[in-house]
Amino acid sequence: MTARKSGSRLETEIERCRSENQWDKIPELVRQLSAKLISNDDLGELLLGECKLQTYLKENPIKQGASPKGPNPKLVEVRKHLTAALDRGNLKADYLQEASLLMAKLCYVEGEYRDALDHYSRVNLDDMQLVGAPVYRLSMIAEAYATKGLCLEKIPVASPSLSNKNTGSPASNKGVTEREQEIITCYEKSGDIALLYLQEAEKVCLSGIQNRSPKPGPTTQDQELGYFLETGLQRAHVIHFKNGNLTQGVGRFREILRAVETRTTQNLRMTIARQLAEILLRGMCEQSYWSPLEDPPTVSPLDDPTQQGHTLSKNYSISRLIMCENTEEALLLLLISESMANRDAVLSRIPEHNNDRIISLQSASVVYDLLTIALGRRGQYEMLSECLERAMKFAFEEFHLWYQLALSLMAAGKSARAAKVLKECIRLKPNDPTIPLLAVKLCIGPLHWLDEGECFAKMVIDMGEKAAEFRAKGFLAIGLVYSLKATDASLRSTQEDYQRKALGAFQRAQSLSPTDHLAAFYLALQLAVSRQIPEALGYVRQALQLQGDDVHSLHLLALLLSAQKHYHDALNIIEMALSEYPENFNLLYTKVKLEAMCRGPEEALLTCKHMLQIWKSFYNLTNPSDSGRGSSLLDRAIADRRQLNAMTLPDFSDPETVSPTSPSTFSTISSPLSSPSSPVFFCQPPPFPPPKNPSFLPPLLPHIPHPPHIPHPPHIPDPLHVPHPPHVPHPPHVPHPPPAPTKTRTHSFLHATSIAASRVEQALSEVASSLQSSAPKHGPLHPWMTLAQIWLHAAEVYIGMSKPAEASACTQEAANLFPTSHNVLYTKGQIAELRGNIDEAKRWYEEALSINPTHVKTMQRLGLILHQLQRYSLSEKVLRDAVQVNSTAHDVWNSLGEVLQAQGNAAAATECFLTALELEASSPILPFTIIPRAL
Amino acid sequence: MLAMDQGVVEEWLSEYKTLPDSAVSTYAASLKDKGALVPALYKVIRENYSDLLEPVCHQLFEFYRSGEPQLQRFTLQFLPELLWSLLSASAARDPHTSGCIEALLLGIYNLEIVDKDGQSKVLSFTVPSLSKPSVYHEPSAIGSMALTEGALANHGLSRVVYSGPHLQRETFTAQNRFEVLTFLLLCYNAALSYMTSTSLQSLCQLSSRVCICGYPRQQMRRYKGISTRLTVTSEFLVQLITGIHYALCNGEVELGSKALDDVLYRSQLELFPEALLVGNAIKSSLRGAALKSNNKEGARSIQVEITPTSSRISRNAVTSLSIRGHRWKRHDAVDLGSPDELMDISEVDEGVWPGGVGPDITPPTITISNSVTTLNLGAKAMKKCRLGGRTSKDKDKESSFLTTGRAASENTELSVKRLTLTSSQSVPKGGALTSLTRTASAVFSRSFEQVASGNAPPSSNHTAAETARYSCSLQEEGVGYLSPAPNHTQRSPSISVHLGSDL
Repeated sequence: MTARKSGSRLETEIERCRSENQWDKIPELVRQLSAKLISNDDLGELLLGECKLQTYLKENPIKQGASPKGPNPKLVEVRKHLTAALDRGNLKADYLQEASLLMAKLCYVEGEYRDALDHYSRVNLDDMQLVGAPVYRLSMIAEAYATKGLCLEKIPVASPSLSNKNTGSPASNKGVTEREQEIITCYEKSGDIALLYLQEAEKVCLSGIQNRSPKPGPTTQDQELGYFLETGLQRAHVIHFKNGNLTQGVGRFREILRAVETRTTQNLRMTIARQLAEILLRGMCEQSYWSPLEDPPTVSPLDDPTQQGHTLSKNYSISRLIMCENTEEALLLLLISESMANRDAVLSRIPEHNNDRIISLQSASVVYDLLTIALGRRGQYEMLSECLERAMKFAFEEFHLWYQLALSLMAAGKSARAAKVLKECIRLKPNDPTIPLLAVKLCIGPLHWLDEGECFAKMVIDMGEKAAEFRAKGFLAIGLVYSLKATDASLRSTQEDYQRKALGAFQRAQSLSPTDHLAAFYLALQLAVSRQIPEALGYVRQALQLQGDDVHSLHLLALLLSAQKHYHDALNIIEMALSEYPENFNLLYTKVKLEAMCRGPEEALLTCKHMLQIWKSFYNLTNPSDSGRGSSLLDRAIADRRQLNAMTLPDFSDPETVSPTSPSTFSTISSPLSSPSSPVFFCQPPPFPPPKNPSFLPPLLPHIPHPPHIPHPPHIPDPLHVPHPPHVPHPPHVPHPPPAPTKTRTHSFLHATSIAASRVEQALSEVASSLQSSAPKHGPLHPWMTLAQIWLHAAEVYIGMSKPAEASACTQEAANLFPTSHNVLYTKGQIAELRGNIDEAKRWYEEALSINPTHVKTMQRLGLILHQLQRYSLSEKVLRDAVQVNSTAHDVWNSLGEVLQAQGNAAAATECFLTALELEASSPILPFTIIPRAL
Repeated sequence: MLAMDQGVVEEWLSEYKTLPDSAVSTYAASLKDKGALVPALYKVIRENYSDLLEPVCHQLFEFYRSGEPQLQRFTLQFLPELLWSLLSASAARDPHTSGCIEALLLGIYNLEIVDKDGQSKVLSFTVPSLSKPSVYHEPSAIGSMALTEGALANHGLSRVVYSGPHLQRETFTAQNRFEVLTFLLLCYNAALSYMTSTSLQSLCQLSSRVCICGYPRQQMRRYKGISTRLTVTSEFLVQLITGIHYALCNGEVELGSKALDDVLYRSQLELFPEALLVGNAIKSSLRGAALKSNNKEGARSIQVEITPTSSRISRNAVTSLSIRGHRWKRHDAVDLGSPDELMDISEVDEGVWPGGVGPDITPPTITISNSVTTLNLGAKAMKKCRLGGRTSKDKDKESSFLTTGRAASENTELSVKRLTLTSSQSVPKGGALTSLTRTASAVFSRSFEQVASGNAPPSSNHTAAETARYSCSLQEEGVGYLSPAPNHTQRSPSISVHLGSDL
C-alpha cells in the first residue's frame, strides 16, 4: 500500500528526494512522471505544491515565537497546486492524506488556523500508519501534529478571553484543561514521531552509505529540523514547565533523552540534558526526586496504543547506572552535556570565528557552572577541578573560567597549581583584592612561599583605597608574611627587622579595621613573640571582646598568663577554652604542661589519657579508607577545622620548626602519594589488616609505623600503668640515613636544613609506611602525628616524674609511628640521661641533631652534657649556635652562662645569667609560636 | 504576641498530645489547613522570651521524632528561624534563652545521624562515569575521553561519602556548633521542595544576617539586630548557598539574590574558596536566565524555551571535534596553504632523484598529478615520506614520484615516523608502504569525484600530456616506473585511470 512497495524506479527516486529534502530536483522528476502517465498529473500537482511550500519555508523560515503573517503572494501557486490535487480526487488514499496535510500546513503558514484544523479533522491523524511508512511521511505526520498543536494554541476554546487560562469562569475551565491536554498530546505525539523519523532517516542514510558510493550533493548530516519539528520536539515540555507541571516536564525530558540518539538530535540532546540538569538542581531536592526508572508521582495520561513502541528506546538492564539521587542524575546529564560542549569548542582565534567562539563558550560555561553547583554541593572539589581543567580550552582571556579553576584547585588542596592560576586571574582582573589575598592565603598556609606571599600582599596594599574593606586584610596578610619570615630567619638582626615590620603591619590592620578580632589577635601574638607581655595582654583582651569564643585568642591569653607566671589563671583559661573546644589537641598540650606545673604529674597523665581517648573516638569513627582529604564537606570540616589546626605544630615544643613543618604537613596531603587513597571508597567493607603487633615485624623494618593498628584498644597501653610492655623492644640503633653528626657544623644554612629535616622526617615515614604493601596508605599523616605527640607528651610527664621505664614505653609508641623524628630521639636522650647513661644520651642527641640541626632543646641538652664531660669549648659552641637560632630560650642562656663560668669567663657568664633571668621572667610555658598563623 | 496567636498555638499544643497513633497521618495532612498556626509559631520562635517557646520546641521535636514525613517537614520549615535564634543568642552571649532551641536542634541532629538500626549514617552518592552505559547514553557515542588520573580512578562506578559518620552530640560548643548546623542544613536542603515560601524567605534572611552582622555592609542592609560578627565555616556557607539557589529559582528572586550577594561578600572577606566557587557559579548561571518573581501565589516556575536544534557553530570553524582526527606534525610543520605554496616546495625538490632505480626492481608506483588541489595534499604527504620525489622541469609542473622498492623499504621506518597528513578531511593515514598505496587511492578517488562532478570533459582530442594532468595511477605490480613527463608520451602498462573524453 505504500509507495515503497508499488514504486517504479521514478517513484523511488521521488521518495528519496522527498526524504532527503532535495526539493530542487522535484520539478524535473515531476516532468518525467507526467510524461509517463496522465493520471500522474494529480500526484505531480501534489509534489509541486509540496516542493514550492518547502522551498518557501526554507527561504523564509518561521522564527520561534513569531506568529505567521497573513496570505502571501508567493504561496498562491502552492495553494493552486494543492487545490488541484485535492479537488480532482483521483489520488490514492495516502497521497490524498498527504495533500490534506500540506494544505493544512499552508493554512497555518498563512495564519488561517481554523481552516488548518478543518483539514486535519478530515484526515484523522491518529489513523495514519507509521510502521513501514516512508521516511518523508513520518516527518510529515510529525509536522502535522505540531502544526495542529500550534493551531489549537492560537484558537481560543469558546470565548476570546479564554486565552488567559487563569481568568476563565469555572464552567469553561473544564474546556480549557481539556484543550490544554489536547494541545500537549499533539506536541508529545509530534515529538515522538519526530524522533522516530530522525532515527529512520539516519538508518536510511547509513544503509545508503553502505550500499552505494557516497552521493554527490548535500549530505544528509546537513539536515535541519525546521520550525515545525523543533516545536513538536520541545513545545510539550515548555508548556509543562510553564504550567508548573514539573513532574510531567521532567518525564518528557527523560523520554526524549532515552530515545536512541541520532546525529541530528545531538544538539537537542545536549540542550535538553543541560535543561534537565538545571531543573534537577534548581527545582528538586533529594526527597522530591524520583528515579527515571520509577513511575513518576502522577501517571501521564498519554496512552495511545497506536503510537507506542515506535521510537526506539534504549534497553536498559540492571548493569546500567541507576541513579537514586537528583545530584547523581544531574551530574550524569552534565557530564554528557559537557562532553558534547567540549567537542564543539571553537579553537581557532581568527576574527571571523568570534561569534562561534562566543556561542561555544557560552554553552560550555553554563554546563561548567552547573557542574560546579552539583559537585560543590557534594564536596567533590577534586573531581570538579579536573572537570574545570577540561574547560581551559575555552578559557583564553576568560576571567570567570580561570577564577573558578583556581578556586576549585584551592578547594581540592592543589595549592601550588592554584597559586599559579590565581596569578593569571590577577592579570585578567587586576583590581580585585580578593584574588591576591587568596593567593597569600595559600602562600603562607600550605605552600610556605613567603616571598611570593609578600608579593601578593603588596599588590593588595598598593591598591590603596580601592581595596576598601580588603585593605586591612592586606596589611594583616603582609604582617603574617613578615611574622613567619621572622620565625624562619637565622640572623638575629633579620629576625628583629621582620618582627618590627610585622608589628607595624598588624598595627595598620588593626587601626583600619578595629572591629576585626583577627587584627587585634595577631597584633597581640606578635607583641607576645617579642616579649611585650602587658601590651599583648591588652590586645588579646580586645580580640576576645570582639570574638569571645575564638580559640586562638583564648590560647594566647593562657600562654600570656603563664608568661607572667600566673599558672593557675592560665589553667583556668585553658579549661574554659576546652569547654568550648573539647577536642582541640593544641589546648590539651598546653593543659598537660600547666597541670604538671600546678597540680602535679598525675593530673597531667590523666589529661594524656583523655587525649588518647579523644583521638580514638575521633579517628575510629571515620571510615579508614575515607579519611582522605576532600572526601566530604563535613569530613573536611572536622579534619580541617580541628585537626589540621592542631597539627600545624608537629613539634609541640619547638618554636623553630613550627612553621616550617606545617607546609610539609599540607604538602603530603596534596602530594600524589596520598591522592589515590583520597575521596573514593568502594562499596565493600574496608579491608582490615590482620591484627599483628607492630613490633613483631621483620627486624629490618622495626620502626615502620603501622597506622591501622594504633586506634585499636589492645595497642594503646594505659599511660598511667605502663609496666615493661613486652612488645616494646629497645632498639640499640635506630637506622638513620646519616651517620652520627660531626661535631663541627656550619650554621649558615640552619633554617633551611631544619625545614628540610621536618620534610625528610615526613618523607621517610611515608616511605616506611608505603613499604607495607598489604596495608594501604590511610590518608594523610596528621592523625598519626597527633598520636605520636600525645605519646611524647606523656613521656615527658614521666620524665618529669623520674620514671624512665614508663617514659621509654611511651616514647617507643611514638617511635613506632615516626622512628626518625628528632623529637622521639630527643626524648630518648632525655630518658637515657635520667638513667644516668650520659654516653647514650649524647648519642641520641647527636642523632636528633643530625636530623634536625636546629632543634634548640636538643642543642641545649647536648651542651649541658658536653659541659658535664668538661668539653667546654665544644659545649660553648653548641650553645652559642642554639642562641643564634632562638635568642629567647632562657635555659640556653643559662647553660651558656654556666659553661662560660666553668671556663672562667665570669663577666660574660654574668651577662648570660642576666639575660636568662630577664627572659625567664617573660617566658611562657610553651612557645607562643605554637599558635598557628594563617589567613 | 497577640492573644489570638497564643490561642492558636495552645490549641495546637494540646491537640497533638491527645491524638491517637492511628490518626497521626491524617492529622499531618490536615496541618496545612491551619492558616494561622505557622505565622504564630514563627512569632513564638522570634520572641525568644515567650513562655510558649519551650513547649513549642518540645512539640516540634515530637513531630520530628514521629517519623511521619509530613510532620518532620513541618518541623524542618522552622529550621532557618531556629538557627538564627540560636546564632544570635550565642553571639549575644546569652546562653540561657536558647536552651530549648539548642535541645531541639541537637535532638534533630542526633536523630538524623543514625539510621533505623541506630548505626551511624553515612551519606554517599555515586559518581557517574561516562565510561559506563546509562539510561541516557552509550559510552561509544561519547567518543574518546581524556585519560586523566581521576578518570582512570573513577573508571568503575564509585560511591563517595559526602557526609558522615557523625558523633552524637550532647551540647553545643564553639567547636561543634557549625558542624551540627551544617548537617542540619543538609537535612533541610534535602527537603527543599516541600518548604513553604515563608521558610525560604527565612532562610534567605538567615543567610544575609549571618554574613553581614558586624561588617560595614550591615548599615547598607539596614539591619538592626545584633552587631557582633558571627563566625562561619565555608561548608556552612555552601549549604546556605544551596538553599538560596533553590529559593532564587522558585520565586524568591529579590531576597534570594540579596542573600547570595551577602554570602559571596562574606566568603570574599573570609577567603573561602568553596563558597566562592559555588556562589560564583550560581551567579553566573543565573545571569542569562530571566527569573520570575514571586508575583502570584508563590508560583514556583522554572522556564525553558524552545532552542534551535541545529548547531549554531559555523561549519568551517576549527573545533575540538574537527581536529580530533588530526595528527600534529612533529617536525618542520608547514601549514597546508595554497597550491602555489606547495608548488614552491615541489620546485625546491627538483632534481632530487633517488639513485637506486634499477630495472630489476618492481616497485609500487604512485603517480600523482600536482595540478589538482586535493592531489597536492597527497603529493605533499608523499614528499614528507621521503619516498623519493622528482619534479619535472616542464611548464606543466607535474611532479612524479618514482619509488623503488628498496628505497621504500629503507624508508618505511622513516615514513612511520614522518608520514603526517595535514588534513581535516581525514585522509586515511598510513604507516607502512601498503597503507601508503591506500592513501594514494583515497586521494585518487577524491580527485576522481572532483573531476567527475566538476569539470565536464571538454573534448576528445586531448594531448597525452593533458591527459596526464588528470591522471592518477595506482600501480601495485607491473612495470618498474611510470612517468607522465612530457617526453614520455607513451604510458606505462599499469593500472592507471585516466580521466578524459573516454569517460
